[in-house]
Amino acid sequence: MDLKLILEHHIVDKVWAWVTFGPLRLPLSKHLLMMGIASFILLVGFPLLIRSRSRALAPFRAMLEMTVLFLRDEIVLPNLGHKGAAYTGYFATLFFFILLMNLIGLVPYGASATGNLAVTAGLAFTSFILITFAGIKEQGLVGYFGHLVPKGVPLWLYPLMFPIEVLGMFIKAFALAIRLFANMIAGHIVILVFLCFIFIFGSFGVAVGLGVAPISVGLVLFTLLLELLVAFLQAYVFVTLTAIFTGAAMHPH
Amino acid sequence: MEALIRPEFGLMFWTITCFVLLVLVLSKTAWKPLMQAVEERERAIKHDLHSAETARAGAEKLKAELDAQMAAMKTEIQRRMDEARLSAEKETDLLIEEARRAAGVIVDSAKKEIETQKAEAARELKGKVAELAVLAAERILVHQLDHRANTDLAGRYLAELEKERPELKLGAD
Repeated sequence: MDLKLILEHHIVDKVWAWVTFGPLRLPLSKHLLMMGIASFILLVGFPLLIRSRSRALAPFRAMLEMTVLFLRDEIVLPNLGHKGAAYTGYFATLFFFILLMNLIGLVPYGASATGNLAVTAGLAFTSFILITFAGIKEQGLVGYFGHLVPKGVPLWLYPLMFPIEVLGMFIKAFALAIRLFANMIAGHIVILVFLCFIFIFGSFGVAVGLGVAPISVGLVLFTLLLELLVAFLQAYVFVTLTAIFTGAAMHPH
Repeated sequence: MEALIRPEFGLMFWTITCFVLLVLVLSKTAWKPLMQAVEERERAIKHDLHSAETARAGAEKLKAELDAQMAAMKTEIQRRMDEARLSAEKETDLLIEEARRAAGVIVDSAKKEIETQKAEAARELKGKVAELAVLAAERILVHQLDHRANTDLAGRYLAELEKERPELKLGAD
């Protein structure tokens, strides 16, 4: 088998069927299924976990609570100010949605929905909408666009700065999408490459392949652990950056 | 491979729909009860802290009161003890004085008694001695009664006595 095919099999989304809603042509695909599983866990698992009074589940409840409190106290409130508490739900959902999709990618037969540019672009688009919405809500339409260019910029630079800042709004969202996508896909590719080493060396001789196998597997395990870290880290980074951009849009200084 | 970097619009639509619905639903079903529970607990902790603070202040006040009472009681006890000691000393002095006086009276009366007893004894002794002497003398006299010799002796004694004590002279001779 060709490495390209293997890579495509593991990384690229597989569309099973298409459904059409008027002008929309929507795919039913592997990544959609993974997103669906993540949504199901969020929709059913989380409310049940939060409402359960079971002793056995108490540690998980505490973990969930600590995470949400961390998001509220360390990310949302410092960036968005005291008015930001209302946005906690959005950021908590964003964090757990991304985290669950990342983690499902590490489970056997799972796939990283966040390793799909369409998914990260969708998330980045909602972040873009949130940033703009929060900024306009806080400062008004005129105030928001008036404050796009930072203070202290000479007046004659405004014609130059304004388009750049408007472009920056989109670039920020674009960067969010690319960052998450690239981080999630990179680990998978590295793991595949390490595993392929076994067969590449195996083509020189079975003994060479068997000799390389333990090293490869060790490296794959290391990369998997790294991916576990990255799964949490990128969810955190996405949420933090969204919060920072939202805060900047709400309080221009 | 270009499928990797060509975003599928349909999936993007799914993502946005899915995520927005999740935000709307979870805000009601998950985060709201969670934050409520957290706030409930925070309030409970604050309340507990407050009540503990109040209880501590109350205990401190009570302790101060008790301390003050204790100090007052201590001084009171000290005062009473001093008073008692003073009165006891006074009492003792009085008693000793009384005892001394009573002893003096007893000694005096005893002395008087002894005196009278002594006098009585002396008187009795004197009487007894006189009687014994008289009786003895009587015996001697009865034994040695010799009328003539005695008459002579009496005459000589009388003459001697009259010479010694002329005021007792019986008539002129």
